[in-house]
Amino acid sequence: MAKQRLISKKTVLVVLAAVGVWIGAAGLLAQSQSPEAAKPAPQAAQASDTDRGEKVFANNCSRCHKPPMTIPPRITGTVVMHMRVRARLSRADEQALLRYLAP
Amino acid sequence: MKKWIWAGCMLLCSFAARAQDADNKSTDTDSKSTSAGYVPVVSGGLGYVYNVVGGVPTLLPQIDPVLLVPFGSHVLLESRTDFTGFFERRNGTGDYTGEIFKSVEYAQLDWLASSHVTAVAGRYWLPFGLYPERYQALWIAVFQDRPITGAIGTPNGSGDGGQLRGVAAQTDKFTIDYAAYFSTHSNTNELQASRVAGGDGSIFFPDKHIEVGGSYQRLLEGHEINSGALYAQWKPQAIPLDVKTEYDRSFYGQGYWVEGNYMLSQLPVANNLFKNLQIGLRSQQFDPLNGGGHGLPTVNTQRVDIALNYYFRDNNWRVISNYGRQFSSGNDQNVWNVGFTYRFLWPLWPGRK
Ligand code: HEC
Repeated sequence: MAKQRLISKKTVLVVLAAVGVWIGAAGLLAQSQSPEAAKPAPQAAQASDTDRGEKVFANNCSRCHKPPMTIPPRITGTVVMHMRVRARLSRADEQALLRYLAP
Repeated sequence: MKKWIWAGCMLLCSFAARAQDADNKSTDTDSKSTSAGYVPVVSGGLGYVYNVVGGVPTLLPQIDPVLLVPFGSHVLLESRTDFTGFFERRNGTGDYTGEIFKSVEYAQLDWLASSHVTAVAGRYWLPFGLYPERYQALWIAVFQDRPITGAIGTPNGSGDGGQLRGVAAQTDKFTIDYAAYFSTHSNTNELQASRVAGGDGSIFFPDKHIEVGGSYQRLLEGHEINSGALYAQWKPQAIPLDVKTEYDRSFYGQGYWVEGNYMLSQLPVANNLFKNLQIGLRSQQFDPLNGGGHGLPTVNTQRVDIALNYYFRDNNWRVISNYGRQFSSGNDQNVWNVGFTYRFLWPLWPGRK
């Protein structure tokens, strides 16, 4: 098969620069206004966080499919990470879910 | 070329370190209070479907293993390969004969930099409309046949390149999600992809269980066309119902589908039996534009389907059945299938309990 010129140097640079700027901006945004940044102290957050985990589970985990009733704790982190990508969940939602599913 | 890529990577790394830092500051203390483990996983679905289209039967065995390998809690390697057999009777009446097709649906590295940004590199399902990212999986789909408009916005099904996705904004009342991607052209076996760029955005109201979204895509090769989709889904908590709908349009046609699925768990009689039984209804309409084709019908087509699925063993197993009638100029036909699906989820090694 003949080698094809898929993208020009210029396109690569423009796309990478755009990606960088986007990530940078989002990083700054995350620092200043992410839901997790505004969280109360860990102890106080504990109880309300379990409730939050339950809520996140109820609201999100049956959106696309029936979730299994039990996920072995040793893979809960992996599965929730996968679902965070698939369902575009926030990091705060992921953390609350982990605490609810694998306390 | 190399020089530019390195420069880009350096730039990416510096920004990413910053984004990850922002998340770590606020969450590392919290992560200590969970016993969640990050052992690699093999999951996926397998199934066997006997499908009849206009009187012609086919046997469709299928297995889709998904491999998940995390590197810490911020980087995930995920891949999914589809093996589908396609067996038909020789000369219409003889033995079943056919072959097994293999395709890599995704093989991607995800870097969960922050709530707002997950950077994806590799081969990924094109985030266009509700399929394939959400409902393509064998054990998820209520109707095994994807909608007629399924070919819109998914040239080759997957893309090879990069993607950014995440939460654009979140409050207690709503979450706004986005995905933006660029895919290069590839002719490589099993990794075929078209040169496309596009995006998807949706807003989810968790208390109301409503999600509304839209996708846009531009094909950047051959006849450069635009494709778009608008979709919504509603899953009330009070009743075991879910309703979803999508409208798609491209240069080659436009159409919509509406689907409603109901678990019969509220029936007062024989509840033990009926609580696991699901009834689904789907209606579709498609109108070709500019001759249609490219995976789409070339004539006006309508279709109605009814599905009856029975779930058991922690919803891991299903017996599925579907009857549909397709109406298209002078060629109305019945489509039906029966079969089973199984979802598996196994840690790759024991790890801590
Ligand atoms: C946006 C849709 C969507 C949402 C929301 C969602 N899932 Fe999934 N989930 C999927 C899809 C699609 C798959 C199948 C992936 C595949 O086969 O490629 C899946 C697979 C899984 C699996 C099998 C293992 C794996 O990771 O592939 C588990 C377990 C699971 N989901 C649990 C959950 C939980 C728990 C939640 C709540 C956080 C959730 N899901 C929310 C779409 C979703």
